[in-house]
Amino acid sequence: MTREEILSKKPLHVLEKIRENLERLNEKMEVMIELQKHDRKGFQPLPDTPLDVMTLLSMPDHLRKTAMTICRCGRATAEEVAQQTSRARAVESAYLNQLVIMGYLKKERKGRKAYFYADRDNQGGT
Amino acid sequence: MGKIIAVHSYKGGTGKTLLSVNLAADLAKHGKKVCLFDLDFRAPSLFALLKMENTTYWLNDYLNGNCTINKVLIDLSSRLQGNGNFFAALANPSTEAIRDMSAKDRKWEMRALGRLLSLRNTLLSDQKFDYLVFDTSPGLQYSSINAIVAADFVIVATTSDRSDVNGTRRMLQELYNLFEKKTGLVINKVLDPTSKSKKEEMYAKVKDIYEVPMLGLVPCFCEILRAEGNVIFVQDKPNHPFTKILDEMVSKIDANEVN
Repeated sequence: MTREEILSKKPLHVLEKIRENLERLNEKMEVMIELQKHDRKGFQPLPDTPLDVMTLLSMPDHLRKTAMTICRCGRATAEEVAQQTSRARAVESAYLNQLVIMGYLKKERKGRKAYFYADRDNQGGT
Repeated sequence: MGKIIAVHSYKGGTGKTLLSVNLAADLAKHGKKVCLFDLDFRAPSLFALLKMENTTYWLNDYLNGNCTINKVLIDLSSRLQGNGNFFAALANPSTEAIRDMSAKDRKWEMRALGRLLSLRNTLLSDQKFDYLVFDTSPGLQYSSINAIVAADFVIVATTSDRSDVNGTRRMLQELYNLFEKKTGLVINKVLDPTSKSKKEEMYAKVKDIYEVPMLGLVPCFCEILRAEGNVIFVQDKPNHPFTKILDEMVSKIDANEVN
């Protein structure tokens, strides 16, 4: 199938696919930029550290604000977090992805939307 | 949507429980639907103060994930005058339960925070409670910080004792500021606060030392000591000056005039 044929057959679908991939790339770039901006070493958590109040207290201010919002909402997109914190969506997206890398949050994609949440139920404990 | 108010302090014996019980009862007296929570699992007191008998489910069971919150709530509305609703959720005072709660790990505390936060949906949003009042343990410990994080507004009870002033100031700066909590300060056991100039002096001092708004000034009342925990002042002594002070605090909180 030629490029023209693909475009004429499902142009919208193809464009949406490209946009989705670009968004994912963009998110990865944002995380990399954020990690460069702040001291990466300071963010390394102990393995399997839960997102409890003591962890929240020890976080840098910019991440605490994002993590607290997820704690309150339970589950939210970067857009929803940005509405609560009055910061830009791209900024929250970067912080949320950073919290995922650090192991405090989980990320789940549903269609074009990415939801972030603290996985309270699957973390064991007595 | 209703509000969660946590009552906390740096040191013990500052009057948290006295304030919590009377605040919750006063809100109910003013027609609100209120639930008072005993989150002081190290030294539970509401079971005794409210003269309860035969409690089947405790707040401990809810936080352990063993029952729903509605199994824990006890309807005490009939004890109060007026058309408000007054509920209580009690901490288990048995030594075994206290030992069990003090041995919880971080993951349990994280889930407990989730369960406290979900009261917003179950009680405030679905069951239309106007206020949840959390009575907490003093100082910086898990159950109290969980309660502070879950709350919309925190009342910090303090006294003029040097160690209390110092610790409270540090706690406000290093804990409350980090969580960006709306806070109101209550200075308890104040000697001779009747003169206007003394009051103004205290308000200025509080602003200077703590950098948070003052919610109220409570004098040292011998009647409170004499009552030995047997009296809910806002209910049983409507004309007592302590009741008047609580009424003022309630109207400030209800009119959202705090912060």
